[in-house]
Amino acid sequence: MESMQRVTKAAVVFLVCVGILTFAETRKEYRFTVGPKASISIVNQYGPISVKPSPGNQVVITAILRSDKVEIDNDQSGSRIDIKSHLLTGATADNGRVDYQVLIPADASISMQSATGPLRAEKLGGDLTLEGAGALVDVRDVSNVHVHVKTMNGPVTLTNIQEGHVEISSVSGDVTLSSVSGRLVQVSSTSGKIHYDGDFGSGGEYSLTSHSGDIDATIPPDASVDVTARSIRGLVENDFPFTPKTHTTFPLVAGSSFAGTIGKAASSVVLRTFSGKIRLKKR
Amino acid sequence: MTCAEFQQELPDVLEGASRAELEAHLRSCPNCSELVSDLKAISEQAHQLRESEEPSPRVWKSIEAALRQEGLIRDVSTEPRFLAPASRRRWGPAAWLVPIAAVLMVGMVLFINRPLSGPIAQRSRQPELGGISTPASMSARASNDDDRQVLSEVERHAPLMKSAYEDNLKNVNAYIRDAQSSVDQNPDDGDARQYLMQAYEQKAMLYEMALDRSLP
Repeated sequence: MESMQRVTKAAVVFLVCVGILTFAETRKEYRFTVGPKASISIVNQYGPISVKPSPGNQVVITAILRSDKVEIDNDQSGSRIDIKSHLLTGATADNGRVDYQVLIPADASISMQSATGPLRAEKLGGDLTLEGAGALVDVRDVSNVHVHVKTMNGPVTLTNIQEGHVEISSVSGDVTLSSVSGRLVQVSSTSGKIHYDGDFGSGGEYSLTSHSGDIDATIPPDASVDVTARSIRGLVENDFPFTPKTHTTFPLVAGSSFAGTIGKAASSVVLRTFSGKIRLKKR
Repeated sequence: MTCAEFQQELPDVLEGASRAELEAHLRSCPNCSELVSDLKAISEQAHQLRESEEPSPRVWKSIEAALRQEGLIRDVSTEPRFLAPASRRRWGPAAWLVPIAAVLMVGMVLFINRPLSGPIAQRSRQPELGGISTPASMSARASNDDDRQVLSEVERHAPLMKSAYEDNLKNVNAYIRDAQSSVDQNPDDGDARQYLMQAYEQKAMLYEMALDRSLP
């Protein structure tokens, strides 16, 4: 009986040790010196990528590998850096996960991909490309940059983007834009909701389009926009008194479309949904 | 050497160039290695096809006659074999693709314009978009096949994500159907066309994500 218990205990200890070894995390750090306007690409199958600015001309990548079922390939060619999580045989979403924390020079551009995310970037001054099927995407405090985002069902949040060139495409993830302005702001969604809270800048083109997702735009009373809103099968609501347009490319139908100008009509705003609801609200 | 640099050298690699850095990259990068082996396989298949299935002169004559009958070519007597020889001179081994493409195009036109019956016919009898036929049955069938292939790829690489892709494909297909129907009903409506374009862009994005080799 005692020997049976000893064997059982040994087996349990052995399994725990194997488990610990199998799922042991490894921390790795990579440092690269780059020139101005460097270009960085990070492809991570499973796990988050978080990017912040570094003070100098260094790219510092800290990666926590969940197990030995995943490796990191890294390559530098001048000011271009490619980092890729490399799954080995037997890798799964759990043991193939890598958590990246990345510091890059503020003027560097970065492309990041992860199926699961989240993908986060803040206070950067170079172009940003973020892609991930189910990845939550969060970009904040950037200016004068291109921001391109693609997700399948991952929600997208952009906060405080000034003078940006923003293109977002998400099939079913909700898209939330707070204080986002620029020459071009384009959001396309199938069933995700689109929320815009800001002033639509002073001279840009804004296009928010969905199939069935609702579109809400909240703007201050002194906004300056030329706005067109239309829902083919849904409803539109508008809090603003505006100067109606007489010529539009489609027949205006009360309750399902409106078009007019508010203030000096500095920015062009197109809100389009097929069957969702559109609300233009006063802040 | 990065993948992008390697891919710039692809033409040389496919012609047999052998440099240490290219070889080293090929050994270390499974993606590029797979790409090269795929391209070589395609090239070999094309070569074999050319040798074994070079259409006979009768085929050229028949195609020429069919095209002349359709009024698609004129004055063929001055250039009696413009299709085959010219193509062969210019494109070498790819010449055989030209008549096959022509036949496929003729077939496609006949297929698109064929009479339909049942509910499919009712859908396809709706007004056309700017003179372009929109054969609902064909596009739906092709779309279903494509979707199935994409989903089976997702299942192979990331089974946990299959249901999410399935749901999103359904959403996007509904978007395409609604947008197409709107275009059919109002061919001059610019917004409707925009919806249709964006719906297809969303679907293309889904496919791109699902088939991206670098992601599960």
